[in-house]
Amino acid sequence: MKRLVAIACVLVLVSAFSAPAAEPPKRGGSLIVCVGDEPPGLDPTASASAAIDRVVYSNLFEGLVKVDRHGKLVPGLALGWEVSPDAKTYTFRLRQGVRFHNGEPFNAQVARWNLERGAAEGTKNAHPEFFRQIATIETPDDFTLRLTLKEVNALFLFQMAEGDSVMLPMKGWEDTASRPIGTGPFRFIEWRRGDSVVLERNPNYWNPALPYLDRLTYRFIKDPSAQVAALKAGDVDVLGWILAPEIARGIARDKRFKVLSGSSTSEVIMSTNNKAKPFDNKLVRQAMAHAIDRKTVNELVMLGYGTPIGSHWPPITPYYVDLTKKFPYDPKKAKELLAQAGYPNGFAARIQLPAIYPYAQKAGEVIADMLGRVGIRLKIEIVEWGFWLDRIFKQKDFELSMIGHAEAWDIGIYANPNYYFQYDSAEFRDAYQKALRAETEAEKAKWFARCQEIVAEDAVNGFLFVSPSLSAMKAEVMNWWKDYPTIALDATEVWWNK
Amino acid sequence: MGPPGLFPMLRYVLIKFATLVLLLILVSLTVFAVLFVLPGDPAQIILGIHATPESLARLRAELGLDRPFFTQYADWVGNLLLGRSALSIHYKMPVFELVASRLAVTGPLALLAMLFAVAFAIPLGIYAARHQNRPQDLAVMAFTQVGLATPEFWLGILLVLLFSVELNWFAAGGFPGWVADPLGSLKALLLPAFALGIIRAAILARLTRSSMLDVLREDYIRTARAKGLRERTVIYVHALRNALIPVLTILGLQLGQLLAGAIIIENVFFLPGLGRLVFTAIGMRDLPVVRDVVLLMAAAVVFVNFLVDLAYAAVDPRIELH
Repeated sequence: MKRLVAIACVLVLVSAFSAPAAEPPKRGGSLIVCVGDEPPGLDPTASASAAIDRVVYSNLFEGLVKVDRHGKLVPGLALGWEVSPDAKTYTFRLRQGVRFHNGEPFNAQVARWNLERGAAEGTKNAHPEFFRQIATIETPDDFTLRLTLKEVNALFLFQMAEGDSVMLPMKGWEDTASRPIGTGPFRFIEWRRGDSVVLERNPNYWNPALPYLDRLTYRFIKDPSAQVAALKAGDVDVLGWILAPEIARGIARDKRFKVLSGSSTSEVIMSTNNKAKPFDNKLVRQAMAHAIDRKTVNELVMLGYGTPIGSHWPPITPYYVDLTKKFPYDPKKAKELLAQAGYPNGFAARIQLPAIYPYAQKAGEVIADMLGRVGIRLKIEIVEWGFWLDRIFKQKDFELSMIGHAEAWDIGIYANPNYYFQYDSAEFRDAYQKALRAETEAEKAKWFARCQEIVAEDAVNGFLFVSPSLSAMKAEVMNWWKDYPTIALDATEVWWNK
Repeated sequence: MGPPGLFPMLRYVLIKFATLVLLLILVSLTVFAVLFVLPGDPAQIILGIHATPESLARLRAELGLDRPFFTQYADWVGNLLLGRSALSIHYKMPVFELVASRLAVTGPLALLAMLFAVAFAIPLGIYAARHQNRPQDLAVMAFTQVGLATPEFWLGILLVLLFSVELNWFAAGGFPGWVADPLGSLKALLLPAFALGIIRAAILARLTRSSMLDVLREDYIRTARAKGLRERTVIYVHALRNALIPVLTILGLQLGQLLAGAIIIENVFFLPGLGRLVFTAIGMRDLPVVRDVVLLMAAAVVFVNFLVDLAYAAVDPRIELH
């Protein structure tokens, strides 16, 4: 049977993405977006830091494909693509007439150079495996790019939509970290270290209808109360990301502002060291799963803005399976399982919470109380971020912790027995391989669902909730992304209604 | 040979200078060692938790983090002595340049805070001293007690709530830059400098008061009064001059505290100053920046102490020169 999967060969229709507003978007104006973390350089192809993508993704830089505000893959610098029947060869038709901000044209040669650069020995890319899976790159003409993979990979297109895979110009790319040059709707003006990154409208953008804004500034304010003060005093127009829910509620009461509450891809989990006693015992982990009341955790920690989960998969990502009923809140059952595991009187353990994430501390306190009710006595320790990365993440010297895993499509971390929570399951690795190598949508759906089920059944970590994507802005700011299905604060279609 | 006093003086200066150098070497070693053993890998923090081991190892090698302790230390000190700047891991620009641009915020901020402190403290201190043990004195003392107990970040937040959020007279923070908007930049420093300065004013006012009271008990003041000089002249011409010596000394020594205070207040007002630079750099494990800035701050304090020592020796011949 011939299975030629042709996906999305249409031009980006702006109207398809804009909110159902009655008025047509207005042009002009300057927008100041507040973000918490200043990026370590502005080159997304040299670091996996989320702070970089939040400033540059789809604003300054574009890849062959993009993730849109609904989490779907849409054409970026490629107009469309075809996948061969064996799911190994991708033929991209590239957009014509695209120029980088420095005037260099974008074409198949440039795309090839970028892909080769990511795969090269000594590349600075944080994900060289995205490019090393490509066996051959062909450029039959200037605007056709044919990639043949070594093995089928169901996530390949999503990987090409990551910040690591954006296209840089062949000349002037060396200074990307400090003077980025891309093809995006905004071009770089200035990075005032410690303060802001300033962008302006790219008048030669390939879509002449976009962007609507003349100027776009990302301003770095870490302290949450300083962020709110800046919004209320009119110094910034949008609080883009990680807004504490109690702050969101306060702002929502003020008529001058609005709060958007959507979904993100950040699964907040109680990370559990599967090699540390007694957590190496599946019964203990399942007992903890029964002892946690997810709905209440979400209420207490996120004021109900989050979405409870039962496995490591965000509900806005395709192939999601609802597993929140797998281990319903049942303290009695939890005690029985603990007794079965040989701990009729419970045990004491330590939970280490990273200080930079207020949600992690709050969730840790709530969980400590819930586990305490079934006899698991937790000692809470607050640790600094560098310490967390070193001791918990790298040296795996911990029992329990709490963290949000922000990346989409990251269930593959469970296939790596050396990952910090040290889950080692041949069954999972097999299912994950089958999902990656699936050649049809049905197969993909089946095996990604299986992956979610295995992880849930083994209660590898305490699956709590997906963080809400909370953003707050002046009431006149239109068309800001409600959900954050990828790590980006894309302002391409944002406009001022004033 | 010069005058007999010169040789001991020179010796004194040289000894003090040698102490200063030794102190700086110790500080540099301590700073370096603490940062060396501090858990947290700069490469991991930059690349995030999804980076591959390969890219981590490459970045570590590129940053020179895989070399032995003394090689790295010698490299750092050697480059400093030669005036060569290291690159900031986070900002990818020379640390000296970064520090200079941040000093352009923190320097004026500290200066302005000092001005506020002096402008409030000295008149208040004199006022309190002149009305010793009367209600006016008690009021000033109560104010200074509150000032001493108030953390500057909290005062900063209150100022923002009042003047930015409610009254809209000032921006809630940020800094437009001296070149782009000199007046706006000065305005941006007013609230944070006030928050920093008023807390210092509390200490200085107490000091001015007690120092003033001491001086007013001196014989020469009694003489001045006996001569029939007006009270204003006695206070402002005769007493104040001498009363200010300990105040100015403390003012100089408060530099270190002011820099520490700047770390907090710059975060409240999101000012791109030296304090916030070092705060972020510690969190990001931007080691070249942390090292240089901490050393710079330590050097500033040590150097001010050195100058104070010299000034004492020059002013007061009774100070032991051996």
